[in-house]
Amino acid sequence: MRFTIYQESRPGKRRDNQDRIAHCYSRDALLMLVADGMGGHLHGEVAAQIAVQRIAERFQAEARPLLPDPQLFLARAIERAHQAILDHALDHHFPEAPRTTLVACVIQRGAAYWAHAGDSRLYLLRRGHLVTRTRDHSRTQLMIDQGVIKAEEAHLHPGRNRIYSCLGGNFNPQVEYSPRTPLRDGDLLALCTDGVWGPIDDDGLVVNLTAGVLSQAVPRLLDISERKAGPTADNLSMVAMCWHDEHAVGAATVESISTRTMELDGFESRLDLSGTAPGATAEFDEDEIERAIREINAAIHKIDSRT
Amino acid sequence: MPSQANCALPPGFQLDQYRIERQLSLGGFSIVYLARDAHGQAVAIKEYLPNSLALRKEGETEPQVSEEHRLAFRYGMKCFFEEGRSLAKLMHPNVVRVLNFFRANGTVYMVMQFERGRTLHDYIRKHRGEVKELLIRAVFARMLNGLREVHAHKLMHLDIKPSNIYLRNDGTPVLLDFGAARQTLMSDQPVLKPMYTPGYAAPEQYEKGAQIGPWTDIYSVGASLHACIVGSPPPRADERTQQDTLQPVVKTQAGRYSRQLLELTDWCLHLDPQQRPPSVYALQKALIHQDNAPERPEHWFSDLGSRLRSFIGRS
Repeated sequence: MRFTIYQESRPGKRRDNQDRIAHCYSRDALLMLVADGMGGHLHGEVAAQIAVQRIAERFQAEARPLLPDPQLFLARAIERAHQAILDHALDHHFPEAPRTTLVACVIQRGAAYWAHAGDSRLYLLRRGHLVTRTRDHSRTQLMIDQGVIKAEEAHLHPGRNRIYSCLGGNFNPQVEYSPRTPLRDGDLLALCTDGVWGPIDDDGLVVNLTAGVLSQAVPRLLDISERKAGPTADNLSMVAMCWHDEHAVGAATVESISTRTMELDGFESRLDLSGTAPGATAEFDEDEIERAIREINAAIHKIDSRT
Repeated sequence: MPSQANCALPPGFQLDQYRIERQLSLGGFSIVYLARDAHGQAVAIKEYLPNSLALRKEGETEPQVSEEHRLAFRYGMKCFFEEGRSLAKLMHPNVVRVLNFFRANGTVYMVMQFERGRTLHDYIRKHRGEVKELLIRAVFARMLNGLREVHAHKLMHLDIKPSNIYLRNDGTPVLLDFGAARQTLMSDQPVLKPMYTPGYAAPEQYEKGAQIGPWTDIYSVGASLHACIVGSPPPRADERTQQDTLQPVVKTQAGRYSRQLLELTDWCLHLDPQQRPPSVYALQKALIHQDNAPERPEHWFSDLGSRLRSFIGRS
């Protein structure tokens, strides 16, 4: 697989960041996750964290290096994450189970499969145009579908934050699954929370996301949304990935990742779990440090042994 | 926070399997030591020690990192690893070689091959205004071999300058310090600001959101050529974009160097990346193939030319 990926999560103007994002890949499969924890006092960030962590763990257990069935994987992993949130609430005597939205996407064998619950979105862009995006599980989306309000009015509607499907909480999530969607060279997949898509329309999102390389386009897009949202800007998070055809010439960029040389049981992952720390996107823990050192020394010795 | 200087580990200090001989340099992000391994082999050890985040007092070994800086310190460490990761993949006579990577004293260390010689920066300072064209061509053509290897691994240097080009005693160059590679990752870091060297950084490095690419390194190569020829780097690129006071060296230095070399330098220093040499290879070719060259020892140059060509053929 060859792709370019960039992720960023920031608190906006809020004190806490309850968004959690992650991506992780084996040689042959890639997983991207965005979760938006709900309700400040209700441990929303706990729900988001459990969801992201559990699904990433399942991925690492099952993608060796391919997932046997990506759709089945998503269904099972999401169900387990939901149960884990409920268990956590029970164990810690929370008055009610915390809740989180989720959008998850798996890519393998050149095709994408995604699933979502709530109003965190996935966008698929091809040649600068929107091919598809997820439909929010929200009251406003229902009202748009029923013709009660127009799409343009949705961002003003008082019920726009009301969602009817999520992980955790008192009801089972209603997860929506995409069909298998083959990717083409240059396709862009972006997963984000409502802090990103809320303040701008789809056209604005598409235009900004396709302007330049992801590592610059994504922060710029987040800047725009944060600015537009003003003094109450919500947490903003996005994981964006540009797919490169392995055999296409000229597609290689400095930032792209090729997994071809990865070990069969190797994994790379990046979880943004401590969104409140200024600038620092992830706690770099002891295990990661040890692993980084091992990897670097392995690379050094690999080269040495060639000589 | 005022940046206090960190104390280096003392001579004789046993650091893992290495014994420290002396401090070689002190930067905002790290300290570099000369040390010997268990076999007495000289190595250079770079210690991750960002001035603004960690403080090592006199007589202490472990730097103190305050709670508020702990995350940023860890994050910077990650960037230090990125440099190690980049270098570990490269094996090239014109790129510094990483030998080992380890953890100690609450921080991390990168062990590199130690080379005898001096930096191009020191050389320019000593020979200000009289750096020979032949030397410039020989050093840069070889150094670009190293840079091509870097780019071939989808990496960028982003901090090419005379003090990062090391000349071995035999005159061959080694590209040092890939520290700036980390900077691309952290455009929004409040604590660890990108540390571009004014004068050598391309205009797109000052501009948030601008496209960074091989052309960015090409600008810095041009600025380094400028430093060899004129004795100082060109004006800062961010100032140049406001009001460009740079005089083309083809005008100011006419007669001192061949016209082709001067044109080449000006070519690299275009503010618009599209106007610069299209690739490192193109630049290298131009450096090697000098048409109507003026005074120079014919036999030596032709010999050098063929040697350089064989270099290129290999990579």
